[in-house]
Amino acid sequence: MNADGLLERLTAYFPVMLQGAGITMLVSSLAIIVGLALGACLLGMSLANRGTGPLTWAVTVYVSFFRGTPLLVQLLMAFYLPSAFGWDMPPLLVAILVMGLNSAAFQCQILRAGLAAIPAGQIAAAYSFGMPQRKVFWNIQLPQLARAVWPAVVSEFMDVVKNSAIISVIAVADLARVTRQIFAANYRPLEVFLSAGVMYLLLTGAVFALGSWVGRRLQHRGGRGRRIGLAATGASHV
Amino acid sequence: MTSRRLLLATLSLAAAGLFAAGTAQAQSLLETIKSKKEIVIGTEAQFAPFEFLQDGKIVGYGPDLMNLVLSDMPEVKVKQMDVPFQGILPGLATKRFDFIVTSVTVTRERASKFAFTIPIADATTALLRRTADGGLATPESVAGKVVGSQAGSAQLKALQEFSAKLQADGKKPITVREYVSFDEAYADLAAGRLDAVAQSMANLATLTKTRADTYALIPGAIGPKTYFAWVGRKDAASAPLVEFFNTGIAKAKSSGKLEELQQKWFGFTMDTPVDAVPEPTI
Repeated sequence: MNADGLLERLTAYFPVMLQGAGITMLVSSLAIIVGLALGACLLGMSLANRGTGPLTWAVTVYVSFFRGTPLLVQLLMAFYLPSAFGWDMPPLLVAILVMGLNSAAFQCQILRAGLAAIPAGQIAAAYSFGMPQRKVFWNIQLPQLARAVWPAVVSEFMDVVKNSAIISVIAVADLARVTRQIFAANYRPLEVFLSAGVMYLLLTGAVFALGSWVGRRLQHRGGRGRRIGLAATGASHV
Repeated sequence: MTSRRLLLATLSLAAAGLFAAGTAQAQSLLETIKSKKEIVIGTEAQFAPFEFLQDGKIVGYGPDLMNLVLSDMPEVKVKQMDVPFQGILPGLATKRFDFIVTSVTVTRERASKFAFTIPIADATTALLRRTADGGLATPESVAGKVVGSQAGSAQLKALQEFSAKLQADGKKPITVREYVSFDEAYADLAAGRLDAVAQSMANLATLTKTRADTYALIPGAIGPKTYFAWVGRKDAASAPLVEFFNTGIAKAKSSGKLEELQQKWFGFTMDTPVDAVPEPTI
């Protein structure tokens, strides 16, 4: 294979792939934010009324649906069904919304796993102070459990970026679509798909780096707060 | 209790309102498009040289002709969505798209459900082979071989009917493989996973010209004469819009612009009827 030709071709692909990568990152970052925020809300809702009541049931149905059906099916439904009722949603918005809603279901369950990391005594103490359940969730439970399961949360962020590779079925020109078009024009699968792979690796790597930095900041803040909190309650374990 | 009932009543009214909004399409679609100054068009941009992506833009014979026809409605902005072919006609049916500007073969089944425009090109199916594979000289020589085509396409249907004909003649049937897009089929042909690809002659002519070292045409059609056309919904609201496109295509043919575009994108011209949509043969 002609090495000079290869470098030329790679530099030719780069700006086109960068355009596609821009769309991928736009959709992914917004979906990540929506996913985390909504996931936290869903967890809060499911803990209302001490885990009984209609809100908990609603969250269970939501999570079962979005975790139990393929993302492809969710995207196609959200793209084709609304127009039957006269709604017109631009494809980019549909992609961000569906990926956000999908990620929220997974984030809800990931965050739920962090509940075990909070000593039960804190919750009891908070309620005995007369704190409303919503305040207990957002001020006491969420910061601590997020800290505990943050690596898994960041892993879900990276999954969002990778899952975004199918949004081209609903008319969004992302990195995967652009890659397929380059391949259709020059029939060199190894270098084209390898370049795309490297780009996705860079994107998920950036998400991981940013997520880890945030995680370290959380640990740092949490560490000091935790020590003060423990000292106040006179806890004997660390 | 009362507030819950009120909530239920409001929700039902809202739902009824949404349904009403969806069904109140008695107004002509063409009028709606002109008032909204926007037309939503569905395209599968994986069908060189009819429509394909280049530098992030949808280019080709189809887009050039579409822009020519739509120049009669200059204030209308085109919102063109690139979706896989299998979502094109269903998307039109669910009103996701106002109109389809992608090369759809006129078939009986589709003509009964949708409204075709007059043809834009010839769609008669032929077979593509690897240049190195000189043994496949006639269409009949693919009996018993592995041939691919696009899922949901009329070319696949022509291939399946051809295979049935071979079987009836006492030859071995073809192993048919389906692909999401023709580009994937071409790639598998080059890789040796397929012996041939069934595709329209217009596409193959351009492909074998630009990639003569990899692909060659097997001379001879494997199905009846068919045409590519654009598609609208088969209801009263869409009829003026389909008529608008028909007028535009006929005008392009009479002014010679259609032949000019065909020469530009294919290197040859095709004979297509202008007075009416031809009877589907497949």
